[in-house]
Amino acid sequence: MRRRQFLQTLAAGGVVGALPAGLNTVFAADASEAVSVEDLPPIEGELTLYLGRGEGGLYERVLDAIRKRNPKLELGVRRGPTAALANAIVAEGRANVRRADLFWAVDSGAIGVVEEAGLARDLPADISAQLKLGFRYEAWAPVTGRIRTLPYNPTRLSAEQVPDDVMALADSSLKVGWAPAYASFQSFVTAMRLDRGDQATRDWLKGVKRHAKSYAGELGVVMGVERGEVDLGFANHYYTLRLKAGKPDANVALAFTNNDAGCLVNASGILALGENPAAVTFIRYLLTREVQSYLAEEAYEIPLVDGVAMPQGLPPLASVQPPKIDLTQLADLRPTLDLMRDAGVL
Amino acid sequence: MKLKICAGLLSFALCAPVFADAPGNASAHGGSDAHVRELSNHLAEYEAEIKWLLDKAQALIQVYADKGSKGVNTDELIDNFEAVKVHLAIELNYVPIYAEVWQGIYGMKQAMEEGKPAAEAEAQRMAFAKALWQGMGVVKLAAQHQLAQPAPSTSTDEAAQSPTATLEEIADTLDDVLALYRKGEIEKAKSLVHATYLNRFEGVEGALIEQDADLVEDLEKDFNVTLLKALQSKNATRTVQGVVSAMQTKLERARKLLKEADKNRRDVF
Repeated sequence: MRRRQFLQTLAAGGVVGALPAGLNTVFAADASEAVSVEDLPPIEGELTLYLGRGEGGLYERVLDAIRKRNPKLELGVRRGPTAALANAIVAEGRANVRRADLFWAVDSGAIGVVEEAGLARDLPADISAQLKLGFRYEAWAPVTGRIRTLPYNPTRLSAEQVPDDVMALADSSLKVGWAPAYASFQSFVTAMRLDRGDQATRDWLKGVKRHAKSYAGELGVVMGVERGEVDLGFANHYYTLRLKAGKPDANVALAFTNNDAGCLVNASGILALGENPAAVTFIRYLLTREVQSYLAEEAYEIPLVDGVAMPQGLPPLASVQPPKIDLTQLADLRPTLDLMRDAGVL
Repeated sequence: MKLKICAGLLSFALCAPVFADAPGNASAHGGSDAHVRELSNHLAEYEAEIKWLLDKAQALIQVYADKGSKGVNTDELIDNFEAVKVHLAIELNYVPIYAEVWQGIYGMKQAMEEGKPAAEAEAQRMAFAKALWQGMGVVKLAAQHQLAQPAPSTSTDEAAQSPTATLEEIADTLDDVLALYRKGEIEKAKSLVHATYLNRFEGVEGALIEQDADLVEDLEKDFNVTLLKALQSKNATRTVQGVVSAMQTKLERARKLLKEADKNRRDVF
């Protein structure tokens, strides 16, 4: 059935070109279904949210909808780059000051910074039970996911020619597009470092660099693939889906590697910083069927609760085999940047 | 709406609402954060604020020495720091000192609330002063860097900005690029183009590409090739002006497309 679902998605979306041969179910679906907002109590009282910059406009629409539905909620929002907000929370915590009730970060690494400082409170078990296996944490809740992909140009190579092992790309003759200065790429290299070690990662970077073209950002990578400047690239999944939405006949398809950093699923996430009960209810709102499906449809983000459809053009999460990595460990960026500089890619 | 208590009358506006009227537009300290983008223009103001904070703390400790715990409202210490602009300037530029500032505030507060000798509260005030002046030193350094090269926004107190407003801001920034070129400050002009592309345009191009992929492709090329190339030529004001003007026309088209797309988005609930 899962194989059939995958094939249907492939046919409908016309995007997915290759998947690893072993479609094991690391993210096997749980029996539970997503909760509806209709089943949640209203949120009341004051709540301060620190919101990391991300899918700005759409996250704001979610916040506005929550406000509209909860007229007795006084929601204050402080916005900024995710890493800067994480640093501010840690500094405030060090001084025994708590100004935020919630931290919603686009990057789970920043969540790790706050969690490691011991500032996040444990969440009720039923919250993590709503999330897919592999995304269940005690002190934070992943909200939506994004997967690393290999966008490739089908006029230049076939799906079968795309390696399903990211490490194999170091010795390949394919012309590769990448964006080394991009935060998502650096998280991917961090995952490789955690998975394969520093030396193997350094060798990989040096190997790929020989046949890579650099771009400022990952949308640029995908567009470079589409124009045929490179054969394939490294990018988060949504850039390709967005390009296909605006240009359905674009010469780009998606491939995934198998059980390595090349198909890492990273997540945005939220944590509660104090005992304000409204904070936990707010988190429940973000995990509702309605918010999850909105972010999947409008922002192409991967829903992380069961019973919500994937963005069109992506296979079910259960059919991809990402590496088992504690996402909060991706905060450890400094050794990654040192290694990238050492390899001459930054 | 919740308002912070304003501790005193000052020559500059210190009293700011914690949660401004606009929904979701929280300003945790000192209202607008625009000042942190031009630190050098606000150094005197920051210094005056630090002196004011220290004077207020000293006055409070004096009242405590005369009347004891019941005579003082130690929350004033927090309210005062929340109200000044230098708060954000230190927070953004040196987080370790930012924590020490808070530790100083809580040190004074705790000493007075626990009925300790006034000298102990004063010792905490000195630590508070040291942290503030160290923070001011870092802010001055940051101001110099900012003058040398326009910095990308690192504010942690941004207002919500729609993609259409971002596109308007980008179009305005291109006028600044042209002005820098006219003054002969070519490297600064190029840095501003890079920063605008990475910190502003990249945030909206994902949504835009769904509407018009070719338009995004054009603008990508303008930002990364055409405009930079024009800026590198000497005595080419008319060329740079032409590129900027063409980009502004494309940005206006992009703004209209995103505005229309936004109207058609479905509701969340």
